[in-house]
Amino acid sequence: MSLDLPQVLPQVGELSQHTQRRLAHKAELLPSAVGEFHRWPEREPLELAEKLKRLGAAWHGPLPTEEAPGQVFPPPPLPPRLHLLGADGSQIYPDRHAYALFYLINIGSLHLTHGSGETPRASSFPILGFRDEDLYDENEHPVDISVIHGRRDLGELQELARLAETNDGEPTLALVDNGLLLWLALQERDRSRREGARLLADYLRAMDHVRQSGAALAGYIDQPGSADVLALLHLASLPMDSVSEATIRSNPFRLLSDADLFGGCLPPGHRSARFIASPALNLEYARKGHQIQFFYVHTGFQDRIARVEIPAWVGDHPEALGWVHAGLLEECRVTGFPYVLVRAHELAVVDQGDRKALDDLLAASLAREGLLPRTSQKAETKKWTGQRRRHRL
Amino acid sequence: MEEAGNRIGRVTRCNIRGFSGGTRLAQADVPTFGTFCKAPAQQGKVDVIGIVYGISIEDDELARQLAASDSALPEAYADNQFVRPVPIEIQALSVGYHEDGRYLQMLPPQPPLTLADIVPLSPGEVRAFTERLDFLRIIHGSMEVPSDDLISATLRQAANARPALEQRNFLVAAGRECARLMAADLTRLESLLRAIQFTPS
Repeated sequence: MSLDLPQVLPQVGELSQHTQRRLAHKAELLPSAVGEFHRWPEREPLELAEKLKRLGAAWHGPLPTEEAPGQVFPPPPLPPRLHLLGADGSQIYPDRHAYALFYLINIGSLHLTHGSGETPRASSFPILGFRDEDLYDENEHPVDISVIHGRRDLGELQELARLAETNDGEPTLALVDNGLLLWLALQERDRSRREGARLLADYLRAMDHVRQSGAALAGYIDQPGSADVLALLHLASLPMDSVSEATIRSNPFRLLSDADLFGGCLPPGHRSARFIASPALNLEYARKGHQIQFFYVHTGFQDRIARVEIPAWVGDHPEALGWVHAGLLEECRVTGFPYVLVRAHELAVVDQGDRKALDDLLAASLAREGLLPRTSQKAETKKWTGQRRRHRL
Repeated sequence: MEEAGNRIGRVTRCNIRGFSGGTRLAQADVPTFGTFCKAPAQQGKVDVIGIVYGISIEDDELARQLAASDSALPEAYADNQFVRPVPIEIQALSVGYHEDGRYLQMLPPQPPLTLADIVPLSPGEVRAFTERLDFLRIIHGSMEVPSDDLISATLRQAANARPALEQRNFLVAAGRECARLMAADLTRLESLLRAIQFTPS
């Protein structure tokens, strides 16, 4: 172990004290945020609409749906038979010190039919990227890690679409371990790049396939850090004549997250109202009929609050919305996190042993091609120092 | 690597006398006590032949969560019993090696390599290896294995790898070899011979 623990110890102490102060401050703020939330139903809905209209493009937060923002919804009944699909991905990034330049994306998935007593079906498939078009962008620069993340997210959704299409119209919930908009950070940065546009088009096409299958689609975010609803709550609480860009920025609840808020507002198993995710990110999705909405849910497991992102075609469809809400509660009942996603992650993850086996396989394959597999000297020296030895006298 | 589909583990620790392997397998694929297996050594020139004498299922937090739950989750239980690979560790005793097309029943010149695939021997390989029974001496002399139980499990597996008509003769020959090894301990010999007694199927 090269970490000098005695040296870091005082900093760990400071970190703990800082965390304690932050939590205390949040605990002070929370009652007033919860109070505002409970007063929300008393507010005139048209007033919030007027404030949003007044702010126009200056508003970057979420929008309300037809569900009143202060409303909470009890758990709906679980269908006697519900297909639960989970997909997750992991990756090995390109490494110029390795035997050859490549990246690996491994997608794992589980198909479990609740109420059937049947054995679930598991699968995983790897995708190796090694061609020039895989590794370099149109400017011949190495692809950004965010592009690899985008390809992984796309692989997850395509896997869900593949599984959803086998279900003959039975109630089905397809889950990813992420927000459905998360990877759009890539699109924002790479808007001008062809790869970003292509990934987005493929992603939306995979969403089309899930939709056509009749399955509900949801992105599950554990321990969410966003404060979208708090921003909207702050806006709702401002007097009409003081609504401005400056006042919306001075949010007194900014230290809190939506999870803190709903931890104090949602009874176990209940969900919040649905909201429309920030229009700036949502535009392209909405244009293709996949506007993203979100809600928060108390999973019923140790007071955990999760954020759930869904396309509008799920949110506006009460039966499909019920599959999402009830299906997630069922999935979190024992593990606190959707079981199908726990397993999909397990099926996707590439550990050190797998990495070593892949490297060995590649070295043997290169040798068969008459090439001498060599890593960089830097990688070699890391091997020397990375392996701990027991010296015996 | 072409045998990775049958893999029952990858070598994690090894020495001349034996090797241990870790892997995740569905329960149906977990090897049994006395299984003959092999792992490559010396850059693949040699296959070390081992006999599985220890199988442990390692601690698994997800299974523990499911077990502790009050409510039934039949699909998740089925997933864990039939689909989800359980983390297992196996220990094998080295009893010989395969080199240049022949089996030698003595300790190998080198242990297998770390992360080498451990695969079970096919019935044909088991028959070929157990043509001679000198490996019983290695099991009998090993202090770290339950030798009598391992000898009987191994001999039953070796008999089952043979056609029905050859099984009795094989077990009689094996019984004679055991009698030579255990001549000084007739009580142990008697219980071992009872364990390998031929019962026509």
